[in-house]
Amino acid sequence: MNFLSLAIKNLLRRRGRTLLTVMGVAIAISVLFSLLSLNSGYQKQLDKEMNSLGANVLAVPKGCPYEAASLIIHGGVIPKFLSESDLQKIRNISGVELATPMLMEQFIKKNSITGKDEPHIALGINIDEYKQLKPWWGVQGRFFTNNETDVKLIGRALADKENITVGFVMPAGPFKGFTTVGVLNRTGDQDDNFHFVPLAEAQRVFNKTGLITTIAIKVKDVNQISEVSAEMEKIPDVQAVTMTQVMGTVMNLAGSAESLLMTVIAIALIISAFGIINTLLMSVNERTKEFGMMKAIGASGLDIGKTVMAETLFITVIGGVIGTVGAIVGSSLIEGYVKGVLPYTPRGSLIALSPELIAFCLVFSVVLGLICGIYPAFKSSRLTPMGAIRGGIE
Amino acid sequence: MSVLEAKDLTKIYRRGREEIYALKHVDFNVNPGDFVSIIGPSGSGKTALLNVLGCLDTPTSGSLQLNGTETNGMKETDLVKLRRDNIGFVFQQFYLMPTLTARENIELPLLFSKRDGNKSKIDDVLEMVGLADRGDHLPGQLSGGEMQRVAIGRALINDPKIILADEPTGNLDSATSKMIFELFSELNMKGLTLIIVTHNLDLARQVQKMYTLRDGQIVSCEDLACVQGRDDLVIQQEVVRA
Repeated sequence: MNFLSLAIKNLLRRRGRTLLTVMGVAIAISVLFSLLSLNSGYQKQLDKEMNSLGANVLAVPKGCPYEAASLIIHGGVIPKFLSESDLQKIRNISGVELATPMLMEQFIKKNSITGKDEPHIALGINIDEYKQLKPWWGVQGRFFTNNETDVKLIGRALADKENITVGFVMPAGPFKGFTTVGVLNRTGDQDDNFHFVPLAEAQRVFNKTGLITTIAIKVKDVNQISEVSAEMEKIPDVQAVTMTQVMGTVMNLAGSAESLLMTVIAIALIISAFGIINTLLMSVNERTKEFGMMKAIGASGLDIGKTVMAETLFITVIGGVIGTVGAIVGSSLIEGYVKGVLPYTPRGSLIALSPELIAFCLVFSVVLGLICGIYPAFKSSRLTPMGAIRGGIE
Repeated sequence: MSVLEAKDLTKIYRRGREEIYALKHVDFNVNPGDFVSIIGPSGSGKTALLNVLGCLDTPTSGSLQLNGTETNGMKETDLVKLRRDNIGFVFQQFYLMPTLTARENIELPLLFSKRDGNKSKIDDVLEMVGLADRGDHLPGQLSGGEMQRVAIGRALINDPKIILADEPTGNLDSATSKMIFELFSELNMKGLTLIIVTHNLDLARQVQKMYTLRDGQIVSCEDLACVQGRDDLVIQQEVVRA
C-alpha cells in the first residue's frame, strides 16, 4: 500500500462527488487546451494563407478598410473597383517586380451532387503572371492561356466536392458552357476552393469590363515594401495594404475574441479550483475522526497532508487527462464554433496539436492540484489527534 | 522500569471561562506485562486519562514517562514517533477505513512507520486475532466483533510495548465482548502490556489491576492478580488524593 492507492480508495468512497469534481477540472482543462491549440493553429494557418498569396502588397480601392482587404484574401467581394490605368501606374513604380490584376466575384451555384445552392468564388486572373506569384502551382490537365474563352481551372477541394474532372463542361450558372481544362493540385489554402478564369472572361461574364478588384504586387526587395506602398498611395483611388498590415488587422480581430475566450477560461479555472477546494474541505471535515485515528496509529501531520494532497492530485490529473483527450476528440466541434464566432478565420484546420501543448496542459493540471490541495492538506495536517477524534475541527 | 509512569497528572479543559478538571493530580504506574483496567462512571475522566497516557493529548501539568522517556514538552513530531514505536490504540468505534480490506487496515500503520509490511507478518497478525480467513473482506462485510479484531490487529502490527483500549467492547454484545477480552488475555499472556478503559465491571475484574476513577481522581486501585489465583479476595485500596 502507498499514499496514492490510499488516496484512490478514499476517493472511491464518494464516487459521485469525485466524478463531479473530476468533470469540473476536465472541462476547465479542455477549454484551456482548446484555446491554446486554436491560438497556435490560427496563427500557423494565417501565416500559411498570407504566404500562399505570393504577394507582398495588395492594391485595393481607396476607402477599403483593412478588414475588407482581409476578406479579399479570403475570397470576399467588395463593391469598389480599380481600373486598368491604376494597374499601369503601379507597374511603373520602381521597385515593383510584378503587378497582376484580379477580379474576384461571388456567385451562387447548385451543388451538382446535393442540389443545394452554395456560394462560389470566381477569380479572373492573368495566368502567366499569377504563375509567377505562385510557382508551386501544379495542375492535372493544363493551365488555360490568357486569350482563351470558355475555359477555367478549379481548385482540388472544389473538384472533389462536386466530382468534377478535367473536361467537365459547366451545365449552368454564370460559367455555363465553360470547360474545366485543369484541376489544380492541392495547395492546402483558399485556392483549393476557387474557380479561376482568364481575367477578360471574368470581366465579360460579370459585366465588369476594364474593372479590377485587387492588384497583387510582388516587390523586388522586401525591404522596400514601405517605399513601394507609399508610392502606390500617391495614385488616386489606390490604397496599399501590406501583408504585415493584414496580418496585424486579422490578429487584432482574433485578439478581441481571444480575450473573451481567455476570460471564459479564467472564470472556468477559478470556479473549478474553488470547486476542488470545497470538495476537499468537505471531505477533510467529514473525516476528522478518521484523521485522528490515523494520527493515533502513527501518522504524522505530513502523512495526513500527503494523503489529502495525493487525493487532490489524483482528481486534477485524471481531470486533466480527460479534459485533454476530450478537447482533442471534440476539436472539430470547437473549431466549427470558433469559425462561426471569429470575424476572419483562415481556411484549413485551426487546431494545432503538439506534444508540448499536451504536456503543458497535464503539468497545468498538476499545478492546479498542488494549489488547490495546499489549504485542505495544511488544515488536516494541523489536527491534533484528540481534537480530530472528538471531531473538533476549527 | 515502568512502561508508563505518570506523576501528578492534571488535565483541564476550558469551555469559555469555565474550567473543567478532567484529571486531578493523578499518579499512575504500569509495569511491563501488566493487564490494567480503568473503570468509573461517565465523565469521571477515564478516556481523558487514557488519551494523556497514550500521548494523544497533553496534560495541563504533571509528568508522564513512556518507556523511560519524559513526554512533557515534547514536540508533536517526536510524540508521533514515540506513539508509533510504543503504543497501539483500540477504539470503541473501531475507526476502520471502509474501503480497505481487513488486511489493508492492519497494514495501514506500516505505511506511516515506513516499516517493511511483508505478507507473512500481516498473516501472523491476522492469525493472532483469529481472522486468518477474513483478510480480504471489507469492514462492511464483517461483524462488530470481527471489526474490533481487525482494529486490535492494526494496533499490534507495529509491535507496540503497550496497548491502550478505550471501551473496546462498548459496541459489542456480551458474548462478543467476552471473546474480545479473551483475546486481550491471550495477548497479555504473551507478554503484552494492556490498559483498558471499560464500563463493564465483569470484564474489568478479569485483569490484574483495576483502577477506579471518579471526578478526575483515582479513588481505588484493586490488585486482582492474586484473586485469580486464590479464592479469597484481596483488595488493596488506596485513595491517591482527595
